[in-house]
Amino acid sequence: MSYVLAGYAISLTALAGYACSLIVRRRRLTRDRSETGT
Amino acid sequence: MMRTTLRKSIGPLAAVLVAVTAWLGLVVTPPDRDQGDYVRLVYLHPALAWVALYVAFGMSAVCSLLYLWKRTRSLRFDRLASSAVEVGVVYTLLTLLTGSIWGRPTWGVWWTWDARLTSTAVLAVLFLGYLALRRVPAEAHIRARRSAVFALLAAINVPIIHFSVIWWQTLHQGATVLNPNLSPMIHGLMAWTLLLSFVAFTLLFAWMVMVRYEIETRRADEDEVGMAAAIADRQAEGIHS
Repeated sequence: MSYVLAGYAISLTALAGYACSLIVRRRRLTRDRSETGT
Repeated sequence: MMRTTLRKSIGPLAAVLVAVTAWLGLVVTPPDRDQGDYVRLVYLHPALAWVALYVAFGMSAVCSLLYLWKRTRSLRFDRLASSAVEVGVVYTLLTLLTGSIWGRPTWGVWWTWDARLTSTAVLAVLFLGYLALRRVPAEAHIRARRSAVFALLAAINVPIIHFSVIWWQTLHQGATVLNPNLSPMIHGLMAWTLLLSFVAFTLLFAWMVMVRYEIETRRADEDEVGMAAAIADRQAEGIHS
């Protein structure tokens, strides 16, 4: 079962991490845009 | 407006469905007669592979074709293709990783140079190359054209991966769901959980591509504004000198 749990833990953490990085990148662009007024 | 609402509802829905899939896969579904608890990886690994190979790289191939075709040429397709590839690379790497984790207890090895595994690893490297190619500075349409050609050449590997278990003798099992007879060889709760996993990870992919596409579009807008400002500066310098 440890292999199974490792598979789920690594995959779901990686996907969550990637999703967070997308949100941060988008937010940063929105902030830059509002600061420069473009 | 509608796209924003759609994206806003897809994200949470995908997260909930992935969580439900994990709960069903880890807690509710029964262990397999032969594989025991290791069968629970079936609710993770095939869905990741489905999205990576067929959805992500299929989408990048279609968008690349649409870009290359003069009638439909638009940088929107280029941005969609690159968004699909970036998310697809994440899914491909996770497919390889979960396959390796599954292979260790069932085959006795973390990795073997099996046709299915090797062709999937080649695909991951090819699409990492695609992402590297996009970082080479170039005018938007030049970059789009070479990326599209590269994506189409790399996508030739997808049918090779699919049929590798039929064409060659491999350790990897043959197609269970997408087999030539189109008769899935599992049933009951396991089949429904498997189906849910495909829906959940595909929805998650769709949401990620939407956000990634938005980032790419905003960046392109910023580059355009920056270029216009630079040209205006140059022109102003010319007037003053």
